[in-house]
Formats: sequence, C-alpha cells, structure tokens
Amino acid sequence: MTETKEIGDRAFGNSYLQKLTHAAPLAVFRIAIGIMLLLSIIRFWLNGWIDTLYIKPLYYFPFYGFEFIKPLGSYTYMLFFVCGAAAFMVALGWFYRIAITLLFLSFTYIELIDKSTYLNHYYFMSLVLLMMVFLPANNYFSVDAHRNKKILSGYTPQWCIDAIKLMVFILYFFAGIAKINSDWLLHALPLKIWLPARNDMPVIGPLFNYRWIFFAFSWFGCLYDLTIVFLLWNKTTRLWAYIAVVIFHGLTAILFPIGMFPYVMIVTALIFFSPDIHQRIIALLNKIIKAPDIFINNKAAFTYGKVTNKVLLTGFAIFFSVQLLLPFRYLLYKDELFWTEQGYRFSWRVMLMEKAGYAQFNVRGNNGKNIIVNNNDFLTPLQEKMMSTQPDMMLQYAHILRDYYSKHGVTAPQVYVDSYVALNGRMGKPLVNQHTDLAKEQESFKPKTWILPFNDEIKGF
Amino acid sequence: MGCHILATHSSFINMILLKRKKPLAILLFAAVVCLYACSKKGADPDPTPETDAKAANRKEMLVNIADNIVIPAYGKFKVKLDAMVAKSTAFTATPTTATLTDFRAAWVDAYVEWQKVELFDFGPGQTEAIRSYFNIYPANETSIATYITTGAAANLDVPAAYPAQGFPALDYLLNGVGGNDAAIVAFYTTGGDATKRIDYLKRITQRMNTIFTKVNTDWSTYRATFISKTGVDAGSSTSVMANSYILNFERYIRSGKFGIPSGAMMNGVVAANKVEAFYKKDISATLAKAATQATIDFFNGKGVTSGIEGPSFKTYLISLGNTALVTTINNQFTAINGKLVTLPENLYNQVNTNNQTMIDTYTEYQKAVKMLKVDMTSAISITISYTDNDGD
Repeated sequence: MTETKEIGDRAFGNSYLQKLTHAAPLAVFRIAIGIMLLLSIIRFWLNGWIDTLYIKPLYYFPFYGFEFIKPLGSYTYMLFFVCGAAAFMVALGWFYRIAITLLFLSFTYIELIDKSTYLNHYYFMSLVLLMMVFLPANNYFSVDAHRNKKILSGYTPQWCIDAIKLMVFILYFFAGIAKINSDWLLHALPLKIWLPARNDMPVIGPLFNYRWIFFAFSWFGCLYDLTIVFLLWNKTTRLWAYIAVVIFHGLTAILFPIGMFPYVMIVTALIFFSPDIHQRIIALLNKIIKAPDIFINNKAAFTYGKVTNKVLLTGFAIFFSVQLLLPFRYLLYKDELFWTEQGYRFSWRVMLMEKAGYAQFNVRGNNGKNIIVNNNDFLTPLQEKMMSTQPDMMLQYAHILRDYYSKHGVTAPQVYVDSYVALNGRMGKPLVNQHTDLAKEQESFKPKTWILPFNDEIKGF
Repeated sequence: MGCHILATHSSFINMILLKRKKPLAILLFAAVVCLYACSKKGADPDPTPETDAKAANRKEMLVNIADNIVIPAYGKFKVKLDAMVAKSTAFTATPTTATLTDFRAAWVDAYVEWQKVELFDFGPGQTEAIRSYFNIYPANETSIATYITTGAAANLDVPAAYPAQGFPALDYLLNGVGGNDAAIVAFYTTGGDATKRIDYLKRITQRMNTIFTKVNTDWSTYRATFISKTGVDAGSSTSVMANSYILNFERYIRSGKFGIPSGAMMNGVVAANKVEAFYKKDISATLAKAATQATIDFFNGKGVTSGIEGPSFKTYLISLGNTALVTTINNQFTAINGKLVTLPENLYNQVNTNNQTMIDTYTEYQKAVKMLKVDMTSAISITISYTDNDGD
C-alpha cells in the first residue's frame, strides 16, 4: 500500500503532487495538536464543564442530520477520557492510526452533542483531525516509527503539509471576508460594545475609552485575517507575521472569554515555518529522549501507494471544495444572515456580532390548557442564552416542549414564542412570528418562513 | 503597532535567521517583549480624548449605588423595621386592640419600605437570602399553624419555611386570624395555644431583625469589595447587580405582583389570593408602586436621601452612546406608572372585578422586562455564563 524509498534529494518527481519535503513540520504539528487537545480536555474536566455541559442538562440540541448523537450520561467522562488518552497517543505517535481515528471520532462526537456549545475552533479541530487520520504524521519522530523502522521516513509528500496550511488559510481568510461588512468596518460593531467593557483592565484598559480604538481594532482584525496566511507563507514576511499572530491571539485571549483558541492558533501557525526550523525543534525535543541520529536524520521518503494516493487526493479535493463553498451557502437564503442565522455556523464567522435575546414560550392545548414556560425548568443558562437568539434552536426547543407537554396533560399542544432579539446595538424586536405554531413546523434546509424580517441592512459579506 | 520594537530586537531575528541555536525560545521571548511593549503604550495615551471617553466609568456608578442608594435605603428600612420590632414587643407583652393597631401600622410602614430594598439581591442581601425570609407569599397558613405548635424546635431556615415567616406571615397573623380586631387579639389571649402564638410572633419578628442586621452590617465591609470589582465578567459587581436587578423586576414585581394573581402567567388560572398582602388587601397597590418606583430610581441613580440623580445604569448607557435606549426605557417606566395610578389599593378586588386592568399592567411590565433584559444587558455587554464563547 505504501512504500518508503531512500532518496538523496527533496525534489522527487516533477509535478507538485510528487514533491517531497522534510517530515519534521508534520511531526511537530502532530505533537503540538496532541498536547493542545490533551490540555483542552484536562482544562474542561477541571472546570467541571463535562458535568455542566454534557451531563446536567435535561435536554440537548443536536445538529440537523446528527440527531442520533446522544449524550452518554455519566459515561461522558469515559468519552472525555478516551479523547484525552487518544490525544496523548497522537502526540507520542503511538498506535497513531487508531489513536487519531479515536481522537477524531470522540472529539467530534462531543462537539455534536449540543449546539449551544458550538465554537468555530472546535469545528476547525474536527476538520484538522479528520485530515490527520489520512496523513502520515507518525512516520517521523514517533513511537510508531521507533518501533517499526519500516515506516520511519524523514521525508513526506509536500501536499500533506500544505493541506493543513490550506485549512488554516480557509479559517483565517473566510473569517476576514466575514468581517467585510458595514457593521464591522463602518460602525466598529460589535467591538464598540465589547471593548469599553474592558476599560478597567490594567495597562491597556484606558485605551478602550477612545472611539478610534474600536475602529483601529476592527480594521486591523479584518486586515489581519485576510492577509496573515499570505504573510506566513511568504518567507521574507514570515517571522513578522508570526509575531503578529502571537500578539493578535494574545490580545484576544486577554480580552475575550475564548478559552484555548488563541493558543491553538499560535501553535498551529508554526506549520508555516520552514522544515529547518522544525528540524531544530525536533533536535531540541530529542535532547530529552536522546534517540540515535539515524532516527532524527532519516533519508527515507514516505509516499502513498498509487491507488491510495489517487483516492486520497480525490478525497481531499472534495473536502476542500466543500470547505470553499460551505461559507457561502448563506446566499441561498433571503434576509440578513446575522438575523436569521441560516447558514451562519461552519462558516468561520467568529466574534462577529453582539446578539442577545429573550424568548418566552407559550404552550396551548385543545383542552384549554395554557402554559407560560419557565425556561429554567428545561434549559441551562447557556442553552437558554443560545436558544434565545437562534431560530433553529427555538424550533428544537418548541419540539422539546411539545413532546413534554403532550405527555403531561396537554392534548395536541401548540407552541408559540414571544421572542425579542437585539443585534449589534440595534433596539430589540421580535425574531419569530408569535402566531406561528412551532409545534407543527419542521426543521429543514428550506428557508424558515416564520422568521420575521430584519428590516435593516448590513452591507457586505 | 510597535514599530520601534522591530528595530530594537532585530538582533534576535538575525540570530534565528542565521540559524543559531534555540530559535523557538528567542522567538517566544521576542514576541513577549513585543506584546509587553505594545501594551505598555496604553499607559499614557496621548491622543485627545473623545467627548464621552471618561464617562464610561463603572466604578463611579458602583460608588453612587453603594453610597447613595443601597446603604441609605437600608438605613431607612432599619428605622421602620426597628419601629415594627418595638411595636411587636409592645403587642406581645400586652395584646390589645390598641397595641394591635400600632403593630399593624408599623408593619405596613416597614412592608412599604421593604419594597425599596428588596431589589438589592446582591452582596450580603444575596448571601443571606434575605428576600426568601422576608417576602415569599402567599403565606402558608397550614405550616404557620404547624410551626406554632412545634414551637422553638421548628427549623425556619429551610425553603419550606419561607412562606411561614417575614412580612407575608405577619400579614396573616395580624390581619387574617380573626374577622375583626377583637377576634385577632383573642387569637393571642385565649385558648391553649395563645402563648405559643405570641412566641411565634416574637420569634419571626426577632428573626427578621437578626437577618436584616447581618445584611446591613455586612454592607459596611462589603462596600469595598463591591466598588472594586469593576469588570463586566460574571462575578463582577455590575454583572451580578444587573442580573439580580432584572430578575427582581421580572420575577418579583412583574410576575409576583401582577402576572401570577391575574393569571397572565400560570396556566391562565386567575389566583386573586396570590396578591401581595392578601390579608390586609388595601395596601397591595401601594407595595407594587413602591417597588416599581425603587426600580426606576435605581436605574436613574437617584440618591435615596438626596433625590439627586448620580452615576447609574442610565449614565453608563449614555456614556456608551445609548441615549435613545435610555429614553425608551424611561418612557416604558412612565407607561407602567400610568397603569399603576389607575389601579385601586385593593388588588385582590381588582383581580376579581376588573382583571383586564391587571393583565394590561402586566403587559406594560413585560415590555420593560425585554428592554432591560435584552437591550440593556447587550449594550453593557454583560456575561452570564462562565464557559467559552466565540461570539454567538
């Protein structure tokens, strides 16, 4: 299936797809991602979030098409343990193929349990892990390569590393495109709302009392997202670009509650550095484990077998085509994306809007029952917060209520919502038609006609 | 950003480019230096301040709320509560219609004053759960009877005991245990349980005094903590205060005083017996008006003794550029007051005879709830959850 060859030069074959490069960047990336995920899992566990997010809630909001993903109750700890252990094994490159597959599956499973915990960087992680299932990340500087010298190879196809870079490019570039809109660029929203809230921070806090700062941050953020990958790719600008990465994500880590994301990105961006730098990182790491020189300076090259190569390249081509199209699916829906959120997720729209909502549900039955629902009886504060601004979650919740009350004394329950949503500092107004019986509406990719019009315009992407 | 840094640290860069050892460490060091240097620039901002820059000041707001609202309001309540305790002592020593009348009048005064401090469900008020012990209604006649019989052994700290103490229990014990004043006095002077009833009255009054004294004294030390937590993250004073302020308005004013009795909530079942001060009846509108006015004054930062408006949600919102929102909210408050003045004192009767006015009042409250809960919290950017969030 695969073969390893002795080569003297990196340039093997003529076409791009046959190009070889040193395997060190891929190995460093594998180790870094494994460790970051392990730390994320530990952090999650220590914060008690496994319990509060995946065990405590009475109901969950699965993704459309993934309703078969169910919470596991107290076994969720087992799921996290598997995920953490797999992450550690990936870092070591020990039983890599099994470990990375388990890691991808367990991590993705966790993320699919409840929409209210959706974060773009979790999605990014899932996509990267999926790619890594097929990449030869364990052929160099790994326990696997140490145990099985047959797979040990210091060189790897160039495209295997570029695939990860491309994924990083998609994340940043689309995040940048999403910022080209009138709220972000012309009104400095939502940073104008978020930054003054941090004006009591030491040192940089006082800056947030100046209006121009909000615009500076907005424009810089947009420009950063659009250009950073080009600057990282280009050798002459790379170092400065990386410093910008550290500063940018360092700032976001200080300013916003976004968890591990900044650190994951700081580490991920290392992939753009030349193989030489990565070889020196490996050499540094090798000072700890003291493996023989042949293990580090290996001249063998890994290439996929002919058929495998074809299948994989086709697979990656499809994967990236989907990735390039998915963020634009919002164009298929009328009205403002930020308002309806039809096509909002999985599109690298990060920190783009300040949206708050209030949703009071009313359940009515044929037998004269009329109940104003207390959301606290069904949802956690996080779930309620997320549901109150997102129509698809309101629909799911309406169905939860319909099913609950039809079992608790309400015949043929109808579910109505009195919703009120404020977006980027605009005065709040109803998001959902209060006369629509949501119990009868079904989830689908079709436009949700019961979402009320935004009656305003946010120009741009 | 940090252009001079580029020059200063180019030697490090060269080292990396020249492939010296430990490039990562150097890179990291350079990055940290740069980050530090860049943030350092914020220490002395030289650009001319924007007009509204200095006003977005949460500390000023917290100081005004602590010094001119919470602490003096508790001071005023203390006077009324002390008076009530004194009248309680007089009545329990010699139960007569005269001492009963005095006690009842002092109870009304204290109950009205309580409406002006119930909204401070943050800091010591929240720690001591004072609302749970002071004003959970309707009173539970059955458990009051049980606790009277059990005597001192009864544990009044548990949630089940909430509706058996505080102002609602006194409402029942001073107004509801007999058809007229003579009958009420007889409740405490005749029969085998008379002494136990007196003891229970003493106990719950003393208990209110003890709990409130703790809250009131603790504020003198809590003040420093309160004004120091100037962030807006979960756990900060602004966040905790805004959340409890809105919760009080939504659950304890809108729902408790109007939504539940009128049946606008709760299965549409009208429940006139759930009005506040159900036994006294003719003060329920006064109580609602006092609580609503306290909510309005708190929003506008009006000093409890001075009557002068100071830094508040209102000024903070304006400093962030939300003048229109402030006007809309205050207009809605005016609309609520417009409904309240049309209501008679006795809300129990009103529910039974003209409930639509109660539902209409509820509807006006509901509009204000949305503005406070969504528009205001969004504008202030208050965090309600401890978990990560990448912006909805």
